Amino acid sequence: MTTQAQATGPVNTIMMAGAAGLVVSLGLAFANLIGSGHAAFNSGSSGVTWGLPVVTYVFFSMASTGLAMVAAMAAMFGAKQYSPLIKRCTWLSIITLVAAFSSLALEMGHPFRMLWAVPLNFQPASALVWMGIFYSICLVILAIKFAKMHGGDFSGEGLVKAGFVGEVLALGTLGSAFGLMAMRPVWYGADVPLLFIACGAVIGVAFAVLINQLAYGMDDKAMPEGVRKVMTGSLPKLFAGTLGIYLAFLLFRTVNGLWTNAEGFEVVHAMVKSPWFVIEVVALVAAFYLMINESTRNVGNMQVVAAVAAILAMFIGRYEYVIGGQLVPLFKGSWVPGLISYTPSMTEWMITLMAFCLVFAGWAFGEKSLNLAAAPAEQ
Amino acid sequence: MAKWGMVIDLEKCTGCQACSTACQMENNRLPGENYQDVLYYTEGKQPTPKLQWFPRPCMQCENPSCMHVCPTKATYKTEDGVVLIDWNKCIGCKYCMIACPYGVRFYTDEKPLVEPNLKEVFKGEGDLSWNPPYKSPQQDNTKGIGIQPNGVVSKCTFCYHKISKAPKGTANLSNDDPALREFVPACVRTCPPTARYFGDLDNPNSEVNRVIAAKKGQRLLEHTGNKPQVYYVTGAGAAGGGSIPGGRSSANKA
Repeated sequence: MTTQAQATGPVNTIMMAGAAGLVVSLGLAFANLIGSGHAAFNSGSSGVTWGLPVVTYVFFSMASTGLAMVAAMAAMFGAKQYSPLIKRCTWLSIITLVAAFSSLALEMGHPFRMLWAVPLNFQPASALVWMGIFYSICLVILAIKFAKMHGGDFSGEGLVKAGFVGEVLALGTLGSAFGLMAMRPVWYGADVPLLFIACGAVIGVAFAVLINQLAYGMDDKAMPEGVRKVMTGSLPKLFAGTLGIYLAFLLFRTVNGLWTNAEGFEVVHAMVKSPWFVIEVVALVAAFYLMINESTRNVGNMQVVAAVAAILAMFIGRYEYVIGGQLVPLFKGSWVPGLISYTPSMTEWMITLMAFCLVFAGWAFGEKSLNLAAAPAEQ
Repeated sequence: MAKWGMVIDLEKCTGCQACSTACQMENNRLPGENYQDVLYYTEGKQPTPKLQWFPRPCMQCENPSCMHVCPTKATYKTEDGVVLIDWNKCIGCKYCMIACPYGVRFYTDEKPLVEPNLKEVFKGEGDLSWNPPYKSPQQDNTKGIGIQPNGVVSKCTFCYHKISKAPKGTANLSNDDPALREFVPACVRTCPPTARYFGDLDNPNSEVNRVIAAKKGQRLLEHTGNKPQVYYVTGAGAAGGGSIPGGRSSANKA
């Protein structure tokens, strides 16, 4: 093992801000949930059933898979230049998965009952069961791998590969949970698991770029040689590539949605008229431009701008997909001619804020206390 | 074993909502969470819009997508063809509500549709969502019957607490036979124009099969493959406005 230069970025500030945000958001969310139960949410039986907490869950599940992909680049594809990022990305993959499940747990009616009811009443036909199994296995694998790395043992590519395969299966199954729903046309399709995996790649790489820049204060001179090489070499190119693939997905799904006469796709017309869609597209195109342009690709500040823009855009995109798929009311074709109106409640926003704060506070804690800069000796 | 099914004759339905009210009383439901609703809509545009209505219980599908997606098997199908929820196993993930093509599942931990919030006025004891002054004597959480606990999903049970006690071999459950009246689902029993028929779909001599055959019974959203056990019959002689609604595209063209 080689211990690289420790983080020099604003880690303390991020940890304090994240911890404060975590306390405030959790406090408000719990106070509202204890006071009013799930009536504190604006989702409901007659409208949007899965609200913002599920959007947050999907987003951070994707982030976790994407980060596991980056961590596995060396083991899976022989891209050894990614080895210096393995510990940091593995840690963030764990943290994002915890944030995802925390958000989901606060949305569910009986999260603790799930712990015994799912294994004792195994329903193999349910995509949620397989998703839960795959993500649980991944969490264990990632935790073991991280513990080994923390003990200085970077050997054993098998665990990393298993984590990668498990995460891809888990995210693909989450995609299936939506893609299987023939009664909800915006969600339905065999390509949806692939779309989810592509989204995971964009979000994961964006987080990898962001935390590695933040760890060293966006100063490539402060970076260890291995990290600097990958941050000014293949990672921004990978970022550009994943953004390009996702932009193509977005373009064709939007065009197809606007073109079709099929019922349910009215929501795509409403979506493109929303300012959020404009923000999403502008942010993605800007991030893509910054990462394909040689003069900006390797500049730390530009990488951070691109990563933040991509994270924002991808979150908006998950909102459009998860909520948009429910805005055409089920089986209420002609008597509800418009779309369901849904605005997340303050409690729902607090759960999202909680997840983001947990991720950033958790990452900063790891940076301070868990020597995330450690890398395999050959680096 | 019977395979219970229902036929709703839209030629006879007057949209009076007696079925909804009877269901509300029988199952202690509040506005916005009725197991059985009559949905009103308009067809056509000014100057000749038509008010139409459509009664909608749970379709008790043969191949229910809500059951297949449930991660804990809390939603299950009985031997006599009714889809029920075991509230003791339900984790409140709401995937069944997402997967039901007919929108007939309810999660009641929500903002009340009307004020005052009766759940606050009559607070529930233990895990139960409320404690109404009148309630049915039955409470069977394993079948989703009675007062709904917090954090779980509920749905129409075809009044399983009644129909499951019907004598074996019963072909028809209707008001016509006083000996069977207690076993008739509340919505069927109360329907003033007798627009609802209830009986054994597996019995070729049952009234439901006779009506389905005679009036070409239709099932809704067949493309989903759910195969409802609730059939609708229509006809040119419809005096009122009971009808199966068209889709959005047809509504837009109207």
